[in-house]
Amino acid sequence: MSRLTLRSAALQLTLALLIGLGLGLVYSWFLSPVTYVDANPAILRADFKDQYRIVIAAAYASTHDLARTRARLELLGDIDPVGELSAQAQRMLGAGESFEKVRLLAQLATDLNQGFASIPTPTSFTVLDTPQSPATDLITETQTITIEEPPTPFPTIVFEQTPITPVVAEINTPRPTVTPNPAPGAPFALVGQDAVCVPGSQPGLLQFTLMDSRRREMAGIEIIVTWNQGEDRFYTGFKPELGNGYADFVMQADTVYSIRIVEGGAFVPNISAPACADPNGVNYPGGLLLTFQQP
Amino acid sequence: MTSSNIIKLVITTSIGIALGLVYGWVIDPIEYTDVPPNILREDYRADYVLMVAEAYQSDADAEIAVRRLAILGSESPALITASTLEYANSNGFTQNEITALQNLLTAMQTYQPQGINNP
Repeated sequence: MSRLTLRSAALQLTLALLIGLGLGLVYSWFLSPVTYVDANPAILRADFKDQYRIVIAAAYASTHDLARTRARLELLGDIDPVGELSAQAQRMLGAGESFEKVRLLAQLATDLNQGFASIPTPTSFTVLDTPQSPATDLITETQTITIEEPPTPFPTIVFEQTPITPVVAEINTPRPTVTPNPAPGAPFALVGQDAVCVPGSQPGLLQFTLMDSRRREMAGIEIIVTWNQGEDRFYTGFKPELGNGYADFVMQADTVYSIRIVEGGAFVPNISAPACADPNGVNYPGGLLLTFQQP
Repeated sequence: MTSSNIIKLVITTSIGIALGLVYGWVIDPIEYTDVPPNILREDYRADYVLMVAEAYQSDADAEIAVRRLAILGSESPALITASTLEYANSNGFTQNEITALQNLLTAMQTYQPQGINNP
């Protein structure tokens, strides 16, 4: 057999191998790919992950079990679960969702940030008897079961992998004094108004810090900013990394704003971006930090 | 081309196909992202239903619970909850969790979508 014939045969075999390989890949990747069952929440589509977070937050609002909630959030595989909660809350507000719906996420983000449940934990379940009508008179008998021990871990490796922090001890101990939400109608007073002239920072950034009488920052307080061409409403606590009582708004230069804190009705008129000068003497609109506190 | 050569080509192509299948199914299978919740593993699914049940304990809103369960698939909410309750009973869920699931099941069994009786 000549060298040419040998080379030709080798070429044919290689070509046949490659064609076979290609056919195999087409079949295994496109025609009959691996069918996925038993998926984990980390690979859910983004909108389903959002829904998952809402349900996690809603369950947390009922149980106040921070350790378990943290474990559930970890299932979603977010690098920064608190940041994701805050971002989702912002997105939902931007999409016009009701604050009541968003509040659950904000509250969870705040509690995760501070490391304990901010609402006293009843750790009880309402036992419902068989209802005759789903709409009315659902609760015919109520029984409170006090949990004396940490909840049994969920029987999957997911919760076994999650370190249980001492938070559980706090959860089981009602702390009736730790409630960041103000008493209804408690007025806020402007206790600080500081110009923020930091070159390179967001020009005209209006920052809010709202605190209760013990100087603890308070999440979920609605703020209304109005100016001659419009109005904006937002809430504290959606950027927990900057503080539970933090909120911000970007002012335009040469525009005068009025601030109203809905809870308690504090009103601050004539707010505008202060004029600042950088080291080169160039003027730019600076920021403003407004601090409100309940008396 | 001789028959022996044809046999060699067929064998080589078959080997290629086999290698392709092994690579595509085992070594580097398609990785799924953006999956719907209806293919969640059973324990994740059960935990999701449990969360819905826990939320229902405080808001008692069957409408919201139905909507939350609906993302798990086309089964009825009552069926989804019933199968989760069965899973809970056989997997050592706490009494509180089982109670929450039972309450949710009761609500789902008696749930009537609003406006269904309205002409």
